[in-house]
Amino acid sequence: MSDQDLVVETVRDILTSHEPFVLTPDRRWDAGLWATLAEAGLTGVGLPESSGGSGGELADAVAIVATLARGAAAVPVAEQLLVAGPALLAADLSLPSPEEPLTFAVADAVTVHPVDNGDGPGRFTVNGTVTDLAWAGVAQHVAVLAPAPAGLDGALLAVIDASRLEATDAFNLAGEPRGSLVLDQAPASGALLTEAQAGEVRARFALARAVQLAAALEQVLAWTVQYAGERHQFGRALGKFQAIQMELAEMAGEVTAVAALTDAAVQALDRGAADVVLAAAAAKVRAGAAVEVVARLAHQVHGAIGFTQEHRLHHLTRRLWSWRDEGGSELAWARVLGAGLLAEGPDGLWPTLTRVV
Amino acid sequence: MSNSLTLAPAPRSEAAEQVRGEVREFLAAELAAGTFQTHVDTWLSGVDPEFSRKLGERGWLGMTWPKRYGGHERSAMERYAVTEELLAAGAPVAAHWIADRQSGPNLLRYGTEAQRQEILPRIAAGECYFVIGMSEPDSGSDLASIRTKAARNEAGDWVVNGAKVWTSNAHASHYAITLVRTSPLDPSHRHAGMSQLLVDLSLPGITVNPIRILDGGHHFNEVVFEDVVIPADMLLGEEGNGWHQVTAELAFERSGPERFLSTYPLVAEFARRVADSDDPAALATLGRLSARLLALRQLSLRIAAALDRGELPDIPAALVKDVGTTFEGDVIEEIRRVVDVTPSLDSPDPLGRALAEAQLHAPGYTLRGGTNEILRGIVARGLGLR
Repeated sequence: MSDQDLVVETVRDILTSHEPFVLTPDRRWDAGLWATLAEAGLTGVGLPESSGGSGGELADAVAIVATLARGAAAVPVAEQLLVAGPALLAADLSLPSPEEPLTFAVADAVTVHPVDNGDGPGRFTVNGTVTDLAWAGVAQHVAVLAPAPAGLDGALLAVIDASRLEATDAFNLAGEPRGSLVLDQAPASGALLTEAQAGEVRARFALARAVQLAAALEQVLAWTVQYAGERHQFGRALGKFQAIQMELAEMAGEVTAVAALTDAAVQALDRGAADVVLAAAAAKVRAGAAVEVVARLAHQVHGAIGFTQEHRLHHLTRRLWSWRDEGGSELAWARVLGAGLLAEGPDGLWPTLTRVV
Repeated sequence: MSNSLTLAPAPRSEAAEQVRGEVREFLAAELAAGTFQTHVDTWLSGVDPEFSRKLGERGWLGMTWPKRYGGHERSAMERYAVTEELLAAGAPVAAHWIADRQSGPNLLRYGTEAQRQEILPRIAAGECYFVIGMSEPDSGSDLASIRTKAARNEAGDWVVNGAKVWTSNAHASHYAITLVRTSPLDPSHRHAGMSQLLVDLSLPGITVNPIRILDGGHHFNEVVFEDVVIPADMLLGEEGNGWHQVTAELAFERSGPERFLSTYPLVAEFARRVADSDDPAALATLGRLSARLLALRQLSLRIAAALDRGELPDIPAALVKDVGTTFEGDVIEEIRRVVDVTPSLDSPDPLGRALAEAQLHAPGYTLRGGTNEILRGIVARGLGLR
């Protein structure tokens, strides 16, 4: 058994006693699940032990995020392990304790000012509103990618203590918190990034959502195949009807395509490929496109019961419908990909396509 | 998900990238010299024996076959890179395509030593072309219902009667690997009693009648067999094993990049238009199409890697062909939605011409090599539904 299999098995075991539930403003995340994961060291995987993490490879962190996505787990692990954690470390910023939830946001509407209060360089104050913040009101720490201070190029990656800040109530289609955080002279430690480095941080966020989408799409297919085998009409299992088989096969085609491209994009990130932003963009766009087909057909095959909160299907389809436009919308990433592929002129399209992943 | 659908990621191949560069250089030089023009769907319509011979000279045909048969003992990943570059450039590869893709591998698997010695080196040289003898006027998706019959005469040779259709470029080819009934149909064992024959298309009793496709092009034919005597030693593989052999052949037929790149030259032309405009919708369309293409490439590369491992991934190949050929047609509609262009084969605008070629060939993408409905049935089997 490989390390990843072991990690996946551990997470699955934990999930058996943490079933997904309908998120509400009063119960907006699974604090119990987070505590169990943190206790097992799973909220620090892929982050080096020397920085307070649990060690392990990117592939291990991806496996954890994928397994939690399959289980519709309401915890900010994707943000922490795949986006904020590695981005902070790459920028030589210190990592908050992995036991305290850390999230990430692109905050184009805030302004940052350097301060020197005797603590040396790297201290800033942040003003403005961080919108669409994943796990707002849940995460104790927020890594924000903000415009650089006036007069400087690039961007600023800053980490803010959000434990005493009030978040607004706003939720995505699955009820996951996506509120705003108003920052008034919020102190932050931060580091300047080049435009290219900032682009890679955004790409990490997109790829994290692509990993979650790919995993959830696989699970939705598995649930739908299972349901089609169990549900009988006209004296036969649904899956015996050719019309249903065609729909399930179409779903399988989408799911398999997404998995192949997402795997390749993760590998591109792992080997530090020059085109990692385009690889992540492609994975995100492709996964988003698959949601349209897979969620629609999954609900069609499940029939009316899948349209209720009594059945498990919505835990993932509602997430799919949200995640495809988070971490940068599908449209925005499609434009990034299109522009990137034309960067060397239209005759460079094919050479770039064969190089990206 | 069921393991029969998924394949392991393809390892990166330096050798493939090396040969890719060589092919790219060759194609640029040929385009500059004007020896070919880029077209859509050239693996069906671009018959150019001289071009095929040039590929043979460079060692880009029969790439994975043993050297003793004129092959080059290179990996499926290297062959993948070569075929992908040729398709992306819209190069005229139709003459040798079937022979190199599936007939050669079929001969390698099931042919006699004499058959291999005689034919494989000529395929690898780009001089010997094949057609697929599977479908018939009354047998399309239901291949087991074929009626073309072969019976032994006193000399032990085969006498063939019947007809095969959609035989692409039979008028320009040398052989047809022909699926025939060698025993009468047994309704309880429909897949038994079939065999494959290696048929020399110049034999007496064979008539090749053209069938024109929507753009007027002559690629399809009906090949009629009237008391055609096929020498006994032209049986391919085992008598009665035809169904099994044809299934293996289809895995090769369905697994390559031509199942998602047939309309790539249209995408390339569209990219030129996008680069000249500042329309964000067109840019996003290029991004979306490219994301789909990149996913298909990964799937197709995984199949090449599986072939290198000695597997015959027929179920994943069916899945990739379904997704890929759907993409080939969608390209047309996605581009139409964001570009104001009139499709015409006579258009002064290269995008209008590419769009016209792609449109008039479009019905074929999701039919040839097994309809997408048949392919989805295979995928459904992979999901454990049947």
